[in-house]
Amino acid sequence: MKIFSNTISILDQALDYSTTKQKVISQNIANVDTPNYKAQEVLPFKTVLKNELKNTKHLSAQITNNKHIPFPPSENGTVTIVKNNIQYNESGNSVDVDQEMTKLAENQIYYNALIDRISGKFQTLQSVIKGGK
Amino acid sequence: MFSGLNITSSALTAQRLRMDVISSNVANIDSTRAEYVNGNWVPYRRKMVVLEPKGEQFSTLLNKAMNKDTVTSGVKVSRIVEDETPYKLVFNPEHPDANENGYVQMPNVDPLKEMVDLISATRSYEANVTVFNASKSMLVKALDIGK
Repeated sequence: MKIFSNTISILDQALDYSTTKQKVISQNIANVDTPNYKAQEVLPFKTVLKNELKNTKHLSAQITNNKHIPFPPSENGTVTIVKNNIQYNESGNSVDVDQEMTKLAENQIYYNALIDRISGKFQTLQSVIKGGK
Repeated sequence: MFSGLNITSSALTAQRLRMDVISSNVANIDSTRAEYVNGNWVPYRRKMVVLEPKGEQFSTLLNKAMNKDTVTSGVKVSRIVEDETPYKLVFNPEHPDANENGYVQMPNVDPLKEMVDLISATRSYEANVTVFNASKSMLVKALDIGK
């Protein structure tokens, strides 16, 4: 029997994403006064996949039987990109502090929500293990 | 695990150094004798910090070499440069450092520029403190898993 369904590993990946995002926001705000620094952004896998699907050359699964369904490589996780073409102030820096602060607040709430869900999941399991006592 | 906090603390250090340099500029706004060069006193020159992203750590370079996405870690002050704009000349024949025409070379510090830089440094510092608190509360929250 599988006690730990997919939920925990999905939440785990989401926490990874949130942690990376926090790191990138820290990095952007740390370099808010660095000339020519370009802001970075974390893309969740969903967005990366969507972009990759547009130029499908990247996505070629090994097909050994013509009944195989082509699938994207199951590389999970996140990708950081650099927003190169944006200039926010005259020093060549592209960090928008207000935007970063908004992302920071958003990411914090998201992280807390994930922690809440993961705890809830464990609580459910505990409740089942104890037989509802 | 604490790399988020390290990034922010590098920025706090850099901004604080920036504030120290601004303090030095403002404090020396009238210093006509900063250096003694070839028998002459040279006034103080305005100093500025140069910030650059930190990226020479082993882990960053390794990740780059392996074509992995990497978040460079923080910011650093690469050097402190001197402002090469000319000194201000002030007519003050009684001054011991006045030249034969009665003019004194004064430091090229502009209080307006310094104040604007100071506000900018303070705001950046505050922004980084906010990020620090956010990262910290996230780490603390992670300890709640399974409680």
